[in-house]
Amino acid sequence: MKTLRQRIFGPAALSFPTWAYLLFFFIIPVALVIWYSFGYKPDQFTTYATDQLSFDRYAEAADPTFLSTFVATLRISVVGTLLCLVIAVPFAYWLAVKVPARRRGLMLALVLVPFWTNFLVRTLGWQVILSPEGFVSHFMQFAGMIDGPLAVLYTRTAVQIGVVYNYLPLMILPLFVAMDRAGVSLREASNDLGAGRWRTLFQVTLPMAAPGIASGCLLVYIPLMGDYITASVLGGAQGSMVGQLVAAQFNAAQNWALGAAMAVVLMLLILATVAIVGAVVLVLQRIIRAGRRVEIVPVNATTAPVNATTAPVNATTVGEQP
Amino acid sequence: MSVIERTTEADASAGEAPAGPVSGKRDLPNTALTVWGVLVFAFLFLPILVIVVYSFNNGRLLAAWDSFGFDAYVNGLSNKVIRGAISTSLQAAAGSAIVSTIIGTLGGIALARAKIRAKWALGLTLLLSFTLVTPEIVDAIALLPWFVTLGVDAGVSPLNNGMVRLVIAHSVVSMAVVTFIIRARMAGLDQSLEEAAADLYATPWRRFRDITLPMAGPGILAGALMSFTLSLDNTIVSSFVQQPGFTPWPVYIFSSLRVALRPEIAAVSTLMFILTLVALGVVAYVLRKVGESSTDIVKAMTGS
Repeated sequence: MKTLRQRIFGPAALSFPTWAYLLFFFIIPVALVIWYSFGYKPDQFTTYATDQLSFDRYAEAADPTFLSTFVATLRISVVGTLLCLVIAVPFAYWLAVKVPARRRGLMLALVLVPFWTNFLVRTLGWQVILSPEGFVSHFMQFAGMIDGPLAVLYTRTAVQIGVVYNYLPLMILPLFVAMDRAGVSLREASNDLGAGRWRTLFQVTLPMAAPGIASGCLLVYIPLMGDYITASVLGGAQGSMVGQLVAAQFNAAQNWALGAAMAVVLMLLILATVAIVGAVVLVLQRIIRAGRRVEIVPVNATTAPVNATTAPVNATTVGEQP
Repeated sequence: MSVIERTTEADASAGEAPAGPVSGKRDLPNTALTVWGVLVFAFLFLPILVIVVYSFNNGRLLAAWDSFGFDAYVNGLSNKVIRGAISTSLQAAAGSAIVSTIIGTLGGIALARAKIRAKWALGLTLLLSFTLVTPEIVDAIALLPWFVTLGVDAGVSPLNNGMVRLVIAHSVVSMAVVTFIIRARMAGLDQSLEEAAADLYATPWRRFRDITLPMAGPGILAGALMSFTLSLDNTIVSSFVQQPGFTPWPVYIFSSLRVALRPEIAAVSTLMFILTLVALGVVAYVLRKVGESSTDIVKAMTGS
């Protein structure tokens, strides 16, 4: 029998404050948002009513103008995540494999600095850079690269540049940690066993980095879908994102029911994309693994397990090699 | 032994490939990688550099360069509203760091010490992950009506205080990060010290205070810094839950977007940037003193 003391200091009891805090300031409020989303806006002066529940607000949220913003947000997020991946894979590889160990700490600190700098301020930096009156615009006109002033600010392109910039460190760091795990000794072993540099890259380093690629993509994609600061600073009317729609319903239109429905759709969209991509990766892994096993086993039974685990990553990262 | 030495040296000086047929071909890809690395660093620092440079703009508008000078710093620091916003931000960040670090430390230790497949641990991990994947705008629109319901309608008066609202909102956002940092830290350490303390008749409380907490120390420090910075960065939730008199710095900047961006914003941001660098440096120094490698420090500071 456990004594009272053991219970109080046991792990389950230690987690009690976390449960209580999150129940009170996360679960209940979010549940209320879902509840509001089934309500309606009764009159001009009331933000919501829930005496009649329906899915009507979801139908309203599917209105073409809103829908196009949802599609645009999804596209900006997916393209942004992929661009971050393409930029970060060679960079993280360089940092983890090529940069001498004694200089690595400094380089990592340099990656951390933008990551710790205020998000909004960094985005303002881009506003200055992309502005039609900015120095880049003047330089490009001077050099004859463009005829008129730079017309990037307040377009979707500007938002795309901004989000890739803002979320890039979130892709670099997990990738670096994962590639670093495939340490010097493993790469040497691969070399000693006769694998060339490319083979080592594809069959040792990148497979070891697979979990980092997965977590990096999640770390970038999820906050990107919910972001609207970048779009507010760089996007103007053309480059709006779902977050702005939700905020506008709550602040300007005072229609909490519709805003809540949009927010719920946004969350479902995030969960659905993550689930779909996860399922596709799992299926691909199975297929490739099965294919590999048949091919490799007769040649040399001992190499089969290694190849089986490396195969899926090979397939998914071929495009991003430096 | 010689093989290892040789290749580590090669690794440190030029590249990974040991002497052999491959080494002759290594120049082009390696150079390309290095160029890529430099370009990415330039990309990462370009906007920060621009803000720092433009903080010396003596003009009225941030983006339109007028002349070099320190007017923006003088104006920024003598502006009462800006000073108030900075002070609100720093207080909210400290409060949120304290709340989320205390609760997150308990939760993180609990998770690291949970029995495999304990249902409550799985549930808590799921709940924390769910707070991480929830977009900030959802937190924002969820907390505002809830604060109003509890504070105004139900009469829980502390929740009508702008600072309390900010601290709660920010700590909900950063709690999962802190908990996962502490869990990662504790999961890597073995429990034999705690068991030894128990065998030596240490009370559970002493065992916790003298053994568990010091072991979790670096994780706690990294978690506190992480939640402090997340709070300083928080714009969306803050702009919803804020109340008159308690406007945090990012919300001040965000609202001045609609009017006009003035160089004061760049000047004060540059000062905040220096402050962040100092804080980062101090924490990195402490972690290094405890004996963490640079990679572990990064892992600790990013929660991965």
